[in-house]
Amino acid sequence: MFDLNIKGNSYDTNLILAKQASKYGWKHINFAYNQNDYNNALIFKNDVQKALNGSIDIDYTLNIESNNPNEIRKITRKFRHKTSCISVLGGNLKVNRICLENVQIDVLSKPYFKRYDAGINHILAKQAKDNNVAIELQFCDILKSYSSHRSKILSNFRDIIKLHNKYDFPLILSSGADSIFDIKTVHDFKSVFKQCGLSEVDIEKSFNVSENIINFNKNRKNMIMAGVKVVK
Amino acid sequence: MKLKVLPKSQRKHYHYLVLDIKSDEKLSKKVFTSIIWNACIRFQGENNTSNFNLWVIDLIERDSNAFYNEYSAIVRFQREFEDEVRSSLALVNNFNKKAISITTIGVSGTIKGCNKFI
Repeated sequence: MFDLNIKGNSYDTNLILAKQASKYGWKHINFAYNQNDYNNALIFKNDVQKALNGSIDIDYTLNIESNNPNEIRKITRKFRHKTSCISVLGGNLKVNRICLENVQIDVLSKPYFKRYDAGINHILAKQAKDNNVAIELQFCDILKSYSSHRSKILSNFRDIIKLHNKYDFPLILSSGADSIFDIKTVHDFKSVFKQCGLSEVDIEKSFNVSENIINFNKNRKNMIMAGVKVVK
Repeated sequence: MKLKVLPKSQRKHYHYLVLDIKSDEKLSKKVFTSIIWNACIRFQGENNTSNFNLWVIDLIERDSNAFYNEYSAIVRFQREFEDEVRSSLALVNNFNKKAISITTIGVSGTIKGCNKFI
């Protein structure tokens, strides 16, 4: 029950969101901040953890919001060892491609963002698999849209899921919640994605992918390449 | 003349959802019923919703604070359609342009069994 993308805010808001998530059955949540707010948010990270008394694990995700591929590369290099997860907001085809080709990036978030298609094709899907970059689908996009717009987002989800079934790239599901109204129980969360065409096994696998990303990055310095680790 | 009660094997099988509701606005049972029906019709369509046999058993006011009003509710549905009902209700976002959130905290085969979730 891992959620890698809850929108981070002030100390009080984070605490309320974390308590609610814990009550609804989540085991670990990551608060996402963009590159400008990330350093400021680190100041109260430990305080939030202490206040929660271990009822739920929290961590931070760096959510890079930029349309410039060079800037994305620079920011990734700068923050790689400071954060447990780096995700990049997709939508732009150049950005989608540059992310999926970069092994230092963990997650491409919302490749369908502000687009009329899924934002990835079979070539990008293969790249995602080769470079082990996860593609993220956000629950909030369905929650906060309605009518034809919601249908189009569900259609984009189905296209991505179809590619996922064929090419087996890592897929993660997150809530993208920014208020207490957007957090749902784990079972409800699963039910919605089941309606999009994911199976129970796929959903469990997506939680495992999230967990693996965090565990891998804790030990990233010792990872020489996929499958090879320095043992002291 | 009253209809004779169906034999047990021919009756529909129901389960009961226990819902946790947060709303900016005060809710009545009548309003809440229309919210859940609209949610299901919007997400699953009229044809699928007809299978659910939705019925609001109770709406209980629990807590009100500065941010939202909190309620619990028990909703009956046909047991084969749990995921469909859950997902439709989870996707309720606003009502009359006021924020509302519905999430399922438990499911039970009997009304009495719902008590442990409330």
